[in-house]
Amino acid sequence: MNDLNALAEKISALAAQDVVVSADGRAMEIDDSVSPVAAILREVNDTILERTLVFTSNAITVHAIAAGRRLRGILRVTPEADAEIVGQILSREEPEAVQSAHELLESLFGDATGMTVQVLPAEPFGKGGERGISAHGLAELWGVDTTQEPKPPMDQFLGVNAGSFKSLLHVRKGEIMKTSGDFAKLQNIWNTQVQAFREAHSKVAKGEAGAQLICLDSAFDDGTSAAMALYEKDVAIIAYQSDHFGKMQSSWQRIFA
Amino acid sequence: MVVDELDALRDKYKGCDALAFADLSTKMILVTDSGSNLRREALDALCTEAALLLGVNGEPALADRPSDLASAASPSQLRVFVRAADEPNDVLCCICGPKIDAAAFVADASECLDRISSGD
Repeated sequence: MNDLNALAEKISALAAQDVVVSADGRAMEIDDSVSPVAAILREVNDTILERTLVFTSNAITVHAIAAGRRLRGILRVTPEADAEIVGQILSREEPEAVQSAHELLESLFGDATGMTVQVLPAEPFGKGGERGISAHGLAELWGVDTTQEPKPPMDQFLGVNAGSFKSLLHVRKGEIMKTSGDFAKLQNIWNTQVQAFREAHSKVAKGEAGAQLICLDSAFDDGTSAAMALYEKDVAIIAYQSDHFGKMQSSWQRIFA
Repeated sequence: MVVDELDALRDKYKGCDALAFADLSTKMILVTDSGSNLRREALDALCTEAALLLGVNGEPALADRPSDLASAASPSQLRVFVRAADEPNDVLCCICGPKIDAAAFVADASECLDRISSGD
């Protein structure tokens, strides 16, 4: 490795998300272009210092140990899974075991439409010298494509939180990009309220030209909440379930902050 | 005392930068936490934003009806506005950092405001 490569790796390591997060898990980006296993490998690839990554979907939880952008192994699965690979260090010298780890993750999360990850301090697992397999290496071995171009930030936000929305109207440069649910009311808000609100709000929130997420709890007559997400030429008007406020804030900050 | 309630809430959340108890009918900040050093103009802007987002005189900012809880998130800040359960003009204005646990903070802020507003 030459000096420039070493420097690039160090900068990349410093920029990576190595914060220990102990609160509720944050939502991962999973959609038509990013499979659950690809999303897991992306999280592994973002992990430099040794950590326990806790993946959860539909009451299934997988604790995995990752370090140095490598998956060392699957520590445990809840509810308990009958799989020998649980508790074993991954190694290229044991290709069948590596494959069974893929099969296990596919069987647990293959159909997941939403998944969260928590980053916790590492738990004891194997011996220090047993490094596991890099996320890129596993992607190759498992035939998983993790290289899709990241979506624009607003699309990421709307995709990650789609399960929290009752309806959505996404407009870019005045053109409707996406709708979901019964969006007639949102269209009416867009036509009659948005411009006046944005003008009034820009006067009080001076200097905030960047991304903004405005949330108004229980603002609809049926008790659902209203949100307006703004980013560059994108405006999204959203009716969302009030108890998903924290999840939306968390993903907003992850994508835009 | 009101300031003690505000200080306790701020102390509980590292990501909480400032708290202000306001009256929407007069659009005035009445009390801030003791560590807050916001200038008058910033406090006025915060109160104006609270009135806009929560809605006054039954007029909602967006959608059908005024809210009892509103927030504005930017990449560097989360501002939260909470209306008291029994006194619609009593509001708590909160300036937080972007990484705060928003759901937990909002729950505690609502309880804090209700204690202040009811005089408990």
